[in-house]
Amino acid sequence: MKVETLLFSAGALFFAPIGVIYGFVTSWHEPVGTAALLLTAGLSLLIGLYLGFTSRHIDPRPEDDPEAEIHEGTGEQGHFSPYSWWPLVAGAASGVVFAGLAVGWWLFLIGVGFSGLALVGWTFEYYRGPHAH
Amino acid sequence: MTAAIPAPSTPVLVPPRTRKGRTVVRWLSSTDHKVIGHLYLITAFAFFLVGGLLALLIRAELASPGLEIVQNKQQYNQLFTMHGLIMLLLFATPTFAGFANEIMPLQIGAPDVAFPRLNMLSYWLFVFGGLVAAASFLTAQGAAAFGWYMYAPLTNNMYSPGLGADLGIFGLALAGFGTILGAVNFITTIVTMRAPGMTMFRMPVFTWNVLITSVLILMAFPPLAAALLALGADRKLGAQVFDPANGGAILWQHLFWFFGHPEVYILALPFFGIVTEILPVFSRKPIFGYKGLVFATIAIAGLSVTVWAHHMYTTGQVALPFFAFMTMLIAVPTGVKFFNWIGTMWRGSLTFETPMLWTLGFLTTFLFGGLTGVLLSSPALDFQLSDSYFVVAHFHYVLFGTIVFAMFAGFYFWWPKFTGRMLDERLGKVHFWLTFVGFHTTFLIQHWLGAQGFPRRYADYLPQDGFTLYNRISSVGALILALSMLPFLWNVYRTWRSAPPVTEDDPWGHGCSLEWATASPPPRHNFTSLPRIRSERPAFDLHHPEAAATGAVAPSADLLGRALDGRPERDA
Repeated sequence: MKVETLLFSAGALFFAPIGVIYGFVTSWHEPVGTAALLLTAGLSLLIGLYLGFTSRHIDPRPEDDPEAEIHEGTGEQGHFSPYSWWPLVAGAASGVVFAGLAVGWWLFLIGVGFSGLALVGWTFEYYRGPHAH
Repeated sequence: MTAAIPAPSTPVLVPPRTRKGRTVVRWLSSTDHKVIGHLYLITAFAFFLVGGLLALLIRAELASPGLEIVQNKQQYNQLFTMHGLIMLLLFATPTFAGFANEIMPLQIGAPDVAFPRLNMLSYWLFVFGGLVAAASFLTAQGAAAFGWYMYAPLTNNMYSPGLGADLGIFGLALAGFGTILGAVNFITTIVTMRAPGMTMFRMPVFTWNVLITSVLILMAFPPLAAALLALGADRKLGAQVFDPANGGAILWQHLFWFFGHPEVYILALPFFGIVTEILPVFSRKPIFGYKGLVFATIAIAGLSVTVWAHHMYTTGQVALPFFAFMTMLIAVPTGVKFFNWIGTMWRGSLTFETPMLWTLGFLTTFLFGGLTGVLLSSPALDFQLSDSYFVVAHFHYVLFGTIVFAMFAGFYFWWPKFTGRMLDERLGKVHFWLTFVGFHTTFLIQHWLGAQGFPRRYADYLPQDGFTLYNRISSVGALILALSMLPFLWNVYRTWRSAPPVTEDDPWGHGCSLEWATASPPPRHNFTSLPRIRSERPAFDLHHPEAAATGAVAPSADLLGRALDGRPERDA
């Protein structure tokens, strides 16, 4: 995961100096750009550090090995939901919430109710039924 | 007696009866990245047609002096506002998500994306966000009418009262959250789900660009979401965030363009990736300067975050030298890309199937838009041309050039992968030439119109202004452009009903990346077997082992030394 780590860390190396330069150029009178650039550097650093930390704590991965054979990737591939209705419910509920922000609080509250329902259904979808695990 | 002995019957797998209703149910509840990709592309294309219709109304209104199409100028304001918002946020951005969904997991040899249900949620957030925003047309005061970049204080309750503006603001915020979740999904997929041997520097350039674009989305869309929600708070809760008395007008511009400029590159980079996939296939050569292209993409992405205020030169409140310098810098990595694209074609064995035609259309159109961009980056000229039709022309050359030309290139190129059938070549060529002629007729003339001083966003002009002829030429071009969609729609219908299914994995014959190493269309989890990955074009290595055996000469480490000593290049 070296390349991934470097890719994100490079963002911090670029945006932090640029943010400082921008601050100097504007004599620190324009706070929005400086803050935005420094926060962007922070975002890159956060992801870069996480990837670097993770890569030190896992075994070398076959996808990072230029000589790897396909069979080295065998084993558990993770859980892939075969189909699900909950994204539609959650999406529609979010639509009601945001429309409610524009239209009125009564609609907003209805949307929040449906969102709670969707959240519970989504979370517990694979605790029961034929795909339980 | 010869009684017919029934032959031992082999159990036959009867395919389940497919009814239309079953397909609908399957698609609405799908977690398959390919189906979600179909949904994204179809929905985005529908929004493209709606946005195009609005553009036609705009051009019809401007075809001659006087208000003839719209009833009042407020309606005209609604037309160009919703045209911009729909095209950028409900057509172009989801088209990126659609292509990324369809192709990226195939290119890295993954069975699906990392979070299939989140993937579907991203799509639904886009759909419902788009519907909430589009519903604003049905309100009493009509849709949002403050321009697609929604400058404060025009967006406050006093200047833009009514439900339509609220629906627009919150609908777009919701669609933006869908985009952010989609980007998280793509990044996770690329980082964690590559096939063994698919190192980062073997990923196809399209996948690289999806990764970089997703990173840009993470940087750009949260400021937009925050700004939109703060604007909503101003309007609904009486907050004072964008009150001009507190400098809110300039604050909005900074926040909006901190999103808005990277957004242009979010729309451009994936489409650069599409043409980079197409060029080597129809040039029969590997990509020229693969790593150069990747680093150029990273450089463009980094720089694009630092140039937002070049949209704000005329406010007089930004550091002109800083932004002019950074903006001109972007021309360098973009030039590197052009160099590599031309280098890929150079001395290749070119053929001009429809994907290649559209790619060449992209190259010419985008080059023009890029060059006028360098002109506009100079503040001295920008003060003269800002808010004129010159900027409109520049913007459409950049975005139509990348998104629409490269989108159709991708459609014609990957249609067999999407559906298992090839689109018709002859109709595709008619489609291309109509679009190409229509587009350049519409927008080339607008450079002159803008240089003569026709401002954008005006519903009307006087006959004695002298803008009539050029506007009329532009409107005729827009009509041709609209008609050019008909051959495409007919092509899609005819291919769906009567084209023969594709039987090979790689119908183009020289496909490079892994999507050409599986069936067309691919099975549910994409691959029944994966080829060994030893270069950035594993499918080509699989289908053309002779190329490695004969053509390529391994570079000699001693070449320079031998040349300096005057020894022959090849010792016996």
